[in-house]
Amino acid sequence: MFRFISQRLAMSIPTLLLISLMVFAIIRLVPGDPALLMLGDMADAHSLEVARASLGLDQPLPMQFLIWFKAVLSGDLGHSITTNEAVLPLILDRFQVSAGIVLVSVLLAALIAVPAGLLAAWKQDSALDFGVVSTATLLLSIPSFWLGLLLLYAFGIKLGWLPVVGYVSFGQAPWQALSFIVLPIVTLTLVELGAITRMARASAIEVLRLEYITHARAKGLSERAVLWRHALRNSFAPTLTLIGLILGNLLSGIAVLETVFTLPGIGRLMVDAIYARDYPVLQGCLLLVTFVYVLVNLLVDLLYPLFDPRVKL
Amino acid sequence: MNKPLPVAPEVLLPAPVRAPRAWRVPPLNALIGAFLLGLLLIMAALGLVWTPHDPLALNLLARLQAPTAAHWLGTDEYGRDVLSRLMIGAHTSLWVSVLTVSMAIVAGTFLGLLAGFLRGWVDRGLMMINDALLAFPGILLALGLMAIIGPSLYGIVFALSLAYTPSVVRVVRGTVLSLREKEFVEASRVIGNSELYTMLRHIAPNCVAPVCVLATSMFGWAILAESALSFLGLGVPPPAATWGNMLAASRPYIATASWLGLFPGVCIAMALLAFNLCGDALRDRLDPRMSK
Amino acid sequence: MNKTFILAGALSAALVGTAHAESVLKVALNADIRSTDPGVNRDTNSDAVIMHITEGLVAFREDATVGPLLAKDVQVSDDGLRYTFHLRDGVKFQNGKPLTSAEVLWTWKRFLDPKTQWRCAPEFDGHGGAKIVDMSAPDPLTVVFTLDKPNGLFLTSTALPECGGSGILHPDSVAADGSWKAPIGTGPFRLGDWKPGQYVELLRNADYSARDEKAPDGYTGNKSTTLDRVRLLVIPDPAAAKAALLSKNVDLLIDVTPLDATELAANPNVRVTSSGTMSVNALLFQTRDPLLKDVRLRQAIAHALDSAQIVEALTGGRSKANNSMVASGSHYHTAVEDQGFAFDPAKTAQLLREAGYKGEPIKLIVNKRYAAIFDMGVFVQAMAKASGINLELETLEWGTQLERYQSGNYQMMAFPYSERLDPALSFDSMTGDKDKEARKVWDNPDARHWLREAQREGDITKRQALFDQLHQQMIKDVPMIPMYNGNAIAASRDYVKGLRTWPVSKPRLWTVSVPNSGSN
Repeated sequence: MFRFISQRLAMSIPTLLLISLMVFAIIRLVPGDPALLMLGDMADAHSLEVARASLGLDQPLPMQFLIWFKAVLSGDLGHSITTNEAVLPLILDRFQVSAGIVLVSVLLAALIAVPAGLLAAWKQDSALDFGVVSTATLLLSIPSFWLGLLLLYAFGIKLGWLPVVGYVSFGQAPWQALSFIVLPIVTLTLVELGAITRMARASAIEVLRLEYITHARAKGLSERAVLWRHALRNSFAPTLTLIGLILGNLLSGIAVLETVFTLPGIGRLMVDAIYARDYPVLQGCLLLVTFVYVLVNLLVDLLYPLFDPRVKL
Repeated sequence: MNKPLPVAPEVLLPAPVRAPRAWRVPPLNALIGAFLLGLLLIMAALGLVWTPHDPLALNLLARLQAPTAAHWLGTDEYGRDVLSRLMIGAHTSLWVSVLTVSMAIVAGTFLGLLAGFLRGWVDRGLMMINDALLAFPGILLALGLMAIIGPSLYGIVFALSLAYTPSVVRVVRGTVLSLREKEFVEASRVIGNSELYTMLRHIAPNCVAPVCVLATSMFGWAILAESALSFLGLGVPPPAATWGNMLAASRPYIATASWLGLFPGVCIAMALLAFNLCGDALRDRLDPRMSK
Repeated sequence: MNKTFILAGALSAALVGTAHAESVLKVALNADIRSTDPGVNRDTNSDAVIMHITEGLVAFREDATVGPLLAKDVQVSDDGLRYTFHLRDGVKFQNGKPLTSAEVLWTWKRFLDPKTQWRCAPEFDGHGGAKIVDMSAPDPLTVVFTLDKPNGLFLTSTALPECGGSGILHPDSVAADGSWKAPIGTGPFRLGDWKPGQYVELLRNADYSARDEKAPDGYTGNKSTTLDRVRLLVIPDPAAAKAALLSKNVDLLIDVTPLDATELAANPNVRVTSSGTMSVNALLFQTRDPLLKDVRLRQAIAHALDSAQIVEALTGGRSKANNSMVASGSHYHTAVEDQGFAFDPAKTAQLLREAGYKGEPIKLIVNKRYAAIFDMGVFVQAMAKASGINLELETLEWGTQLERYQSGNYQMMAFPYSERLDPALSFDSMTGDKDKEARKVWDNPDARHWLREAQREGDITKRQALFDQLHQQMIKDVPMIPMYNGNAIAASRDYVKGLRTWPVSKPRLWTVSVPNSGSN
């Protein structure tokens, strides 16, 4: 198992490298550099030169990449050009915010969706099934940021139950922190419920048709035992893959939700870094996000055999 | 035991060729999906030739009006008619997604077939780039490309196709790999067909089904992605109306003119629902295992 | 809006309150400061904060002229080359040590040292106005600067907030190895706690040596304060800042958008004050563009716009239209500068005919980051269309637009010029040789000559005449259409007294008083 893990981690290094190169290239192709953005309309040739030199932008591109890469290898991700903060603690801090919300939402969604999907599959074509599928499809079709805006309007503005803006970290003030993240979590959970329910239902339907289920029924196991012991476990694998995909995508796609709810998360950090041409922050964020993506995939692959014995590590 | 025993001749036929079914009443999801899609297409088509008001006409005296008889869905922050803008927005949003999906499918299928067919280091190299593109946050890719190319409709199409092609490549390559070793492919080789012919004649058609299903999802993603990009400030540039940038522009007025955010969102949701339902119906049709 | 908490609120609540009643002002900053070193690694917020801690030899008065601060008086030699500053007696630094000419020299030597990376070093080392060739201290209360050529902008440049006001520091601000520690200045506040990303705190300087005047006068005058503490909280999101004000988590917002200002003004507990600043929102032309190089076409566009109406709509009546680069709030803005472009559609039609304009599309670059700029583009396009001029909006991302501005690669653009505190600086931002600097908008040798004169000249009357000439020529050449000057709008709770906004736009919190409280 450890060999598997270390092999996978080793294989991910080329991906990380490739992504670093990609983001390095892309952000430098974008017109305007951080020096220009800092100086704005006060940028005359001389001060631009000075600013660029102080940021190391006057070096040839491959040199800049190597310098950055060397620093990364020794754990130094540099400093933000806009705020001067150290990049690593900054992105870890913001990542915590996003990850917290994403993990809780996906977990909640899975806890509701998997049993719901299973039930719907068990009672396929019944009214319950129809209800579950329609709700899931409907939820799947609602854009997350629109839902967020609607909930914000309803609960934040019209009813005034929850704050409209702001964020407090959990460690500082638990109850207040809750009041800020309730709406984003609810929004995200609702949106993910759709996809996970449908996938759980689909794979459960497939499993329920298989021979060993009939066999278990023939053995005399109660329906409930059939469901819980065999159907749930064996049908979970594709759902697990989907959850992994969702987690991976959410980490970057959450930028929009963070904008709606004004959360200091990593999505907003990346978007702001692009606008400010904050190269070190952007590069650091991409490294982190890719690394997490690789980890999530690895975790899914490690857990998969638990649910689908046909697949070995 | 329900499954019939496999019969040897059947195995030689490529899987999805089945006897045509007798026409039945289409399932509910297909009906609703088709209806919604039709509604949207009508809206888009109509918007090209007629709208209640000029969608670009400013009217500073009539800003932020609630729905009235003159403006059925109200006016926006510049006094422009919301309904008219929704209609031309339909056209823009649908056009962006059609273009995006087409490009992604063409590119993805080609690359997927290539990777699955050639294998070896071509496959490995392609898959490494593919995985990197998949891991790269789509929003950032689009933002970065938009900032380089400059905001434009075709820029967005390019950026989004680039973001979606890897998914198509994966699906196609997966299908090719799983079919390569199947008996009917073996049979084709045994008969004496070249690899390429086998590929194109037997394997490629089997990719159509999964790609079609993926395509319907991608239509939805594309509309969603364009809206998200507009929300972040880099969608199809104004003054063009897209549902996304109408939604984004409504944000400062959420307390004072809440209807501004309602209608574009409804349209986006309708479009997504339409594509999801049609996708479901299509999948049910093409994949006999799931239906009754 | 009853229960809106924010990061700041939680923090202040979590902190132990002081035992005795003290006067604490909570202000919202839209971004964290970058450093506490005056004029080094700076941005707007950093400047605003450091100007409370350090003081320079001279500073801006309320009317945006420059007057002595740490200096008692300034004498300029007849040839304009020597500036003699007589320092005030008895001024103490925040560490108790007295201010002498030695510290002034030390500070300035450090500023001009390239290692410090002082933002304004190029201004004084030969790249800019004039080079400081010598600094000397004939006695403990006198400093003499010698320039290589006369420069009417020398004092203004030293007083600029972006230079940190050239705040005089005590050498203990710096560690033994020369690295920056913390600012020890002479200002009414000293630096308290700085938690990066969260807040900066200023504490009252109990030993502040105030000037003799009765009242504060801009950045000079008597700056004694009654506030014990100022806490500047970092709240990047404008909506969050607004919510914080409404929930009393902050007492003051120093920069509010016009839209928010209108909304806040309706609230009985909030007071909104505003004043014009010297930033300029303008429409730029690329005079080398094949289409726009015809001055008649540019004039046609200028006369097609009803600037008054556009500005009224854009600023809710807070600003007046100003077609001159001399800001409305500057004392150099007279009746001459009030002459702008009249709204004259008939003239537009005639000019278009003469120029042979056939409706070719002209791209007008705008961006969405500055709502005012975007809206300006929308209105301008609509008005121009009414006169048959076909402007096409091209919405770029801000960084991209900046790059196009810098390289001159555009036809028209709506552009926000940040504030320049002297008309010579304003004209300098857009006048120059396009072959040497592509970003310059106005390439006219006469104009360049008058500008150089205005930079050299110290006499106010002569400068006024030069600015009048420059303005009148600009109206003839139409290289750009300045539209209006920005506004600094501040919003505060009703118990905040003494807040005044001013043309230099930066906050002066020493004038503010709030009721005493325990721990807020």
